[in-house]
Amino acid sequence: MITFERTGKRFGNLDAVKDFSITIKDGEILGLLGPNGAGKTTLMLMMGTVYRPTSGTITVNGFDVVKHPNEVRRLIGIAFQDPRVDGILSGFEVLNWHLKMTTTSDKDERRRKVEDVLKTLDLWDARKKRTWLMSGGMKKKIEDAKILVQRPSIAVFDEPTAFLDVPSRLLVWKMIRQLRDEGSTVIVATNMMDEAERLSERVAIVNKGKLVASETPEQLKGTVKGGEVLELTLNDGSEFRPDMLTKFPEVHDVKKQNNKIMVFLNSGTLLLPKIVDTLSIQGFKIESVRLKEVSLEDVFLTYTGQQLE
Amino acid sequence: MSSSPTPDNSLNETSTTAKPPTHLILQMALRDVSVLFRTPWIIITRALSFIVQVFVFANLISGLIHIQGINYFEYYAVGSVVTTIASISFVIGYDIFEEAEEGVLDYLLTLPISRRQLIIGRALGGAMRAIVYTIPMFVIVAVFWGFSQPLPILTALLSLFLLAFGVTGMSITVAVSVKNANRFDVVLALLELAVSRASTALYPIGFIPVYVAVFAPFSPVSFAADSAYSSLVMLTLDLPAIAGLVAFVVIFLGLGATFYFRRLEGGVYA
Repeated sequence: MITFERTGKRFGNLDAVKDFSITIKDGEILGLLGPNGAGKTTLMLMMGTVYRPTSGTITVNGFDVVKHPNEVRRLIGIAFQDPRVDGILSGFEVLNWHLKMTTTSDKDERRRKVEDVLKTLDLWDARKKRTWLMSGGMKKKIEDAKILVQRPSIAVFDEPTAFLDVPSRLLVWKMIRQLRDEGSTVIVATNMMDEAERLSERVAIVNKGKLVASETPEQLKGTVKGGEVLELTLNDGSEFRPDMLTKFPEVHDVKKQNNKIMVFLNSGTLLLPKIVDTLSIQGFKIESVRLKEVSLEDVFLTYTGQQLE
Repeated sequence: MSSSPTPDNSLNETSTTAKPPTHLILQMALRDVSVLFRTPWIIITRALSFIVQVFVFANLISGLIHIQGINYFEYYAVGSVVTTIASISFVIGYDIFEEAEEGVLDYLLTLPISRRQLIIGRALGGAMRAIVYTIPMFVIVAVFWGFSQPLPILTALLSLFLLAFGVTGMSITVAVSVKNANRFDVVLALLELAVSRASTALYPIGFIPVYVAVFAPFSPVSFAADSAYSSLVMLTLDLPAIAGLVAFVVIFLGLGATFYFRRLEGGVYA
């Protein structure tokens, strides 16, 4: 179990993380969802003992990260957002050395484990290639592979599928789920909605260093009133005011981002003609209309007022 | 919130077993050494450059000057090995600075190795790399001048290793205490120049200008050169020089560790 209790991290005058509290259960996949600069990486680096919290505490399986950093490091493996590999080493060498440092596997066992993971990730043929000569996607897979081959008790992935094509993304998600199935607790930091929704059992929304919400994706969607979202794109939304639509009792909330209007409502099909009429009478030209169910993206927008991706 | 350690039975087997500190330190050190073996041409070109410097330049100069009681050709050759090892030992600082910039240092800090083991491993790796790098030059000098007695050779190698160990500590100290890349390059280059050139490794003390001669005897490179020359040429043990080297190692490994801890665990590093 990992517990953040009123954790904070201050760099100079900047609060990268502030009053952050959450408990992560054993064997769950937690998605940390937030925009770039939200504090996700700082949270992970504090948990990984690279940074010290400036306030509050973090305990990992009962070990305080400040008082017992060596014990914590034995439990955790972190795959970084930007690959952190020695460019002069080959993919095989990077993984082999990582295993030497983190496990008690002997030479044959290490070779077998590295071979397995490289073959699964379709990197076996490139195993002797120096990592600085690899493409961004290949390097990213090597970074993820460090943790997939180590199989730590607590596996942390920072943007695990950034730079990856769709088949590789699906494969990495599958391998992360397998890791959890074998008993690891998994934390995935991401700014990709579909990754958070598909992979995580629970999503923690982080914004400006603070925890905004933490529930299962379905529960989070349930917190958005109305259950439906009407997306309207106007040719010029500068004159639009939310009260033009909140006068309808079925409309719970209206968010505006430039020319895009998000209307959180119920009975959308029935209300749609009235909304179109109202806007047309006010002189707005509607370029597109889309009625959909609430997604995690809408949840994020509701909680933070920002859109991801 | 409880902070006392409690056992947890759900951990994966591979990550629960603590590895012996010596294993982790050695692996960390071998990582630095292995990088050198992936660029063998650097060793070869540097060895060739050393041969030209000693057998052309030093040979020529020794024909022009005559110093009573000293074969300058031999003196310069031994000194060249010492200054080369000092120069190579500084490289670890550039490596660590680059790793910090590229984020590889963050990765190393998440590995199950204590900060103390990490810095010892890095300093040891830097020193081992410098020794491996300089071995071909040492062998050339030993063969050409007929240094064949095991004990003096071991003493000379010990002096070289102590110098390398201390210089890597010094280099790490600078790497983790200077944040600006340009300033770091200048500081390390000046330090290398001061330590190597303001020494008695290449020039006997009596021939050095007085403003350098004041400092030269206290340079760690002088300690190592004096010790190596005494062992190999005069077959005597220069204990004060070896004591100076040990002090140099202790001071700079300690300083390096202090700065390393402060920068990496004090939250300044961001």
